[in-house]
Amino acid sequence: MIALVLLRRLGEMVFVLFSISVLVFLIFFATPGADPAARLAGRGASPATLAAVRHAFGLDRPLPVQYALMMRHLFITQDLTSFVNPGQRVVPALLQAVPVTLSLVLGAAVIWLVLAVLVGVTAAACRDTIVDRALMFLSLLGVSIPVFWLGEVANLITQARFHDTWAFSWVPALGYVPLTQDPLGWFKSLVIPWLVLAVTYVGLYARILRANLVDAMTEDYIRTARAKGLSERQIILRHALRMSLITIVSMFGLDFGALVGGGALLIEVVSSLPGVGMLTYQALQNLDLPFIMAAVLYGAVFIVAANTAVDMLYTLLDPRTRPTR
Amino acid sequence: MPFPLRRTLLACLLALPASAQPHQGGTLKLVAASAAGTIDPQVNYTEQYAQIFAISYDGLVTFAKTSGPASDDIVPDLATTIPTPRDGGKTYVFTLRKGIKFANGATVTPDDVAASMTRLFKVDNPNAGSWYADFVGAAACLATPATCTLAGGVIADDKAGTITFHLTHPNAEFLDQLAFPFAGILPADAPAKDVGTIPIPGTGAYQIVSYDPQKNLIVKRNPYFRQWSAIAQPAGHVDEIDYTFGVTDENEITAVENNQYDYEFDPPPADRLAEMSMRYAGQIHVEPLFAIYYAPMNVNIPPFNNKDARLAVNFALDRAAAVNIFGGRNLAVPNCQVLPPGFPGYQPYCPYTLNPGTKWSAPDLAKAKALMAASGQTGQRVTVIADDYGVDPALGTYLASVLNSIGFVATTHILSANIQFTYIQNTNNKVQISVTPWFDDYPAASDFLNVLLSCSSFHPGSDSSINIAGYCNKTYDAAVAAALQRAITDPAAANAAWAKIDRMATDAAPWATMFTPRNLDFVSRRLGNYTYSNQYHLLYDQVWVQ
Amino acid sequence: MAAAALLAAIVLACLLAPLYAADIAGTDPFASNLDGTITLAGQPVEIMQSAATGFGVTPIGPTWHAQYFLGADDQGRDVAARLLYGGRTSLLIAAGATLICLSGAALVGVIAGFAGGIVDTILARALDILWAFPVYLLAISLSAVLISHGLQLGPVSINADSLLIPIAIIGIVYIPYVARPIRGQVIGLAQSDFVLAARCLGIPRPRILLRDILPNIATTLIVFAPLMLALNMLTEAALSFLTIGVQPPAASWGTIILDGEGLLYTRPMVAIAPGIAIALTVVALNFLGDGIREAFDPRAKLRINK
Repeated sequence: MIALVLLRRLGEMVFVLFSISVLVFLIFFATPGADPAARLAGRGASPATLAAVRHAFGLDRPLPVQYALMMRHLFITQDLTSFVNPGQRVVPALLQAVPVTLSLVLGAAVIWLVLAVLVGVTAAACRDTIVDRALMFLSLLGVSIPVFWLGEVANLITQARFHDTWAFSWVPALGYVPLTQDPLGWFKSLVIPWLVLAVTYVGLYARILRANLVDAMTEDYIRTARAKGLSERQIILRHALRMSLITIVSMFGLDFGALVGGGALLIEVVSSLPGVGMLTYQALQNLDLPFIMAAVLYGAVFIVAANTAVDMLYTLLDPRTRPTR
Repeated sequence: MPFPLRRTLLACLLALPASAQPHQGGTLKLVAASAAGTIDPQVNYTEQYAQIFAISYDGLVTFAKTSGPASDDIVPDLATTIPTPRDGGKTYVFTLRKGIKFANGATVTPDDVAASMTRLFKVDNPNAGSWYADFVGAAACLATPATCTLAGGVIADDKAGTITFHLTHPNAEFLDQLAFPFAGILPADAPAKDVGTIPIPGTGAYQIVSYDPQKNLIVKRNPYFRQWSAIAQPAGHVDEIDYTFGVTDENEITAVENNQYDYEFDPPPADRLAEMSMRYAGQIHVEPLFAIYYAPMNVNIPPFNNKDARLAVNFALDRAAAVNIFGGRNLAVPNCQVLPPGFPGYQPYCPYTLNPGTKWSAPDLAKAKALMAASGQTGQRVTVIADDYGVDPALGTYLASVLNSIGFVATTHILSANIQFTYIQNTNNKVQISVTPWFDDYPAASDFLNVLLSCSSFHPGSDSSINIAGYCNKTYDAAVAAALQRAITDPAAANAAWAKIDRMATDAAPWATMFTPRNLDFVSRRLGNYTYSNQYHLLYDQVWVQ
Repeated sequence: MAAAALLAAIVLACLLAPLYAADIAGTDPFASNLDGTITLAGQPVEIMQSAATGFGVTPIGPTWHAQYFLGADDQGRDVAARLLYGGRTSLLIAAGATLICLSGAALVGVIAGFAGGIVDTILARALDILWAFPVYLLAISLSAVLISHGLQLGPVSINADSLLIPIAIIGIVYIPYVARPIRGQVIGLAQSDFVLAARCLGIPRPRILLRDILPNIATTLIVFAPLMLALNMLTEAALSFLTIGVQPPAASWGTIILDGEGLLYTRPMVAIAPGIAIALTVVALNFLGDGIREAFDPRAKLRINK
């Protein structure tokens, strides 16, 4: 039964990915200036040279043939190369960027989940007091700040204005230090981006957690627990929180999928972290179609997989959401 | 000093290793915002990698690796001497130096030279059809590159150790074109296609060891290199060069200030210049550049097919403001004409200013508005296409503002630097006006006046049509051809002719030239012996880091 | 409510941008002013000041007076005046995109949920595909294409620098975000007792649609509106910051942040001011959204009555 459902979802996933790949292909072949032959050939190439390069790269074949060739290079022979940096393989370059994005997103996720639980629980426990209102206002503020702007301001403070003071002299130059190369450097280079990324998600999760907790507190089973004599704190932590976490977990699944799939691009660009998002953004700027194709498909895989996982989670946990039709 | 101390001192001095020369060794750390494409020296046409190719490969001749005007001179490199042309300038016979080895241990032979020349055509070198088209047999090579032999054009004689070049007609710039990194000598068995990221062994003091366009380029010493000419290919001081990619321009400056890198390739962002010049003045080097920043106007579509409109733009442009955008009076000089100051054939000329003469002083808005009224192009919509590199977006925005002030309705489009240059060349994109720089390939006026403005450089509908303005004038082309012919026998007279052609082009106003930039290099505190060549700019084989 | 008042104040200030620019600041915020001077405390001051070393030119910082209140940007333009004009653009784009998003989502969601069958399957799949395409990547891809050449849809041709392009892109990209809940709601409603009863009674489907389905999803749309306004505003700022949203010389808060990025080390106010403006507007919108949700969500009403 489960296997059948999984198989069906897998089929849907493949269909969605195929459609996306066709969409990307069409979008970029409609773009003026997208013809990579001149960039591959080098500055000032003669028309004969351009024609030769175009032929060598198969760019003069009909679109469906080019699409099929690209898919073959990407999935079967796995030697798809960039249009902008000839000879550079797309898939290894993409895979190299994955640990950067994973480091960024996982670190930020730990921070924002812990903080969100703290803030959400505190706000729910002290609901309708000044503490609750202050925390909720701060959460709202966090959600409302553009993440790239916050990153720029963080750079202004830590790299420019106060870089020479004791507070921020430890902040290294913007960029990524691999964990395997220098763990301390890795940590130091990621702290500020973690905090910036976390700020925009803490607020969202804290607000939703608080709302769910407050909702849960009015449920019957909570009334029973109170009647049994449990303390408010025990009620929140042992009962209400568990139910509210389902929403949080499913939200986290979706957000994590989107971020790892390239949604962290703004913070990566602002902090000069060579992750999947930055790679994708540069590929889009350069109209480097092989890179764009690989990056978008990679991102879509994560998003669809995350969506599927969350849907399945809901189906398992809540019988009401099982499909009736 | 006391006797025992002297003995100890002497012992200490004698204990020093004999090879400990000052400044040898260390790793030079370079950084750039991005990689620059393929590392195939016969395909890559960027300044960024020309600096690497200069220390990794050698041609038969090369530009002198020194500073000042001497850096414009051509010196023998793999050839023993610079031959005098024979046969009315159509034949050159080079004698190959003996005993020079590639980085893979193989010895260089005349066959390698001939193979390198045919490889130019096999890999579709961008200038195969222009610079190298006058080799005998080039026509066949251009038609079917895969079977290129250049038989009759480049003849290798292994016994005599010579290579003979036969040209279809004399070419005054033949040696410049052989000195350019394109004509670096590669092993005969180098792959006959663009190698992309796989290094080809060269004869230079250094060799490219690895290349990942997302991360870095690593260069180490060539173990088979023995210095044969300090002016052509010096042995260099540093042992390794690490070129990191992917750091934005603001962070590059911060990193160099913190001595995390020795040199950053990209132009510093305008807002850091004041800070750099006040706190790190000793680490800034400003050198002349044979280049122009200009705004080509499409002379074949409205509104700039109207000459009065083009003249109006030239009169309205405040070149001092453009200079300020670029970084101030120390970094750029206003320019009204085609050639940059100091270039062969340059004579100062500026008709587009308040007091026309030789120097630009101020814009003439009244004249500009009068010309606009005469042109009837007031109210026309114009789009300025600029790229997103450095100050180009600011220049594009400023240009749109100037156009608006004289009566156009102008907006700016910023395109990625990777696609803007080919985009503005293709007439299918109907680009009306754009902002772009042009840097010289070698010191010859034709590199501006012929390459950028002749009919043969205009290819409608192609991504490669470097005559961006689309200016095609038979009288102009005839003058250019005459000057090219003159240059073979009488360079001085040719330069006088080029000066006249410069004025002709400036008067036709296919462009609005803005300024000639200077080159600003920002280096770390530990970098010493900064040496700037007009051709290669910072010479990596002259600097030291310890 | 304070939030609504703040929002109204912001909108009003932005609408009065031309007044501010002309009468108070006395400047054209879209014209470069690289060699102008203003008078401060009786002294003429250059707007673009050359450094003493001759390297680099720095625009003046905030004067806290009528002219150049927040200082100048790298083209010598008045930042405060551009901020107000930018607000107009940002608000306009957010509003337009929200309109497109909500109407598109309503159309798709209602048709899919109500028609059912193959139509529903196709539309649901299309929504899935659109949603699986990473949001920013889709927006950036479409922008890259449309901003190069504009759009030609038969007789309708849109200029490449028209604001309609970012409005359309941002609106379309977020349609799945709203359409899926609407579709879910419509499906639920279509299976509910009172609709089944109406069908049994023989009431024609269009009337059921109009009388029973639409009013219910209308409340959902109203609840979504402030949220989408906020989201679209942030997305527009991000796209403009990446140079593929609003094109110069038009200004939006995102483009001003981009201008400020190049002046971050010397004139941070250029980057800080629009960020604060965005944050304030989005906070106000979110507060408004909270309030509207409390007022309209029937479940919330039930909770209050308990």
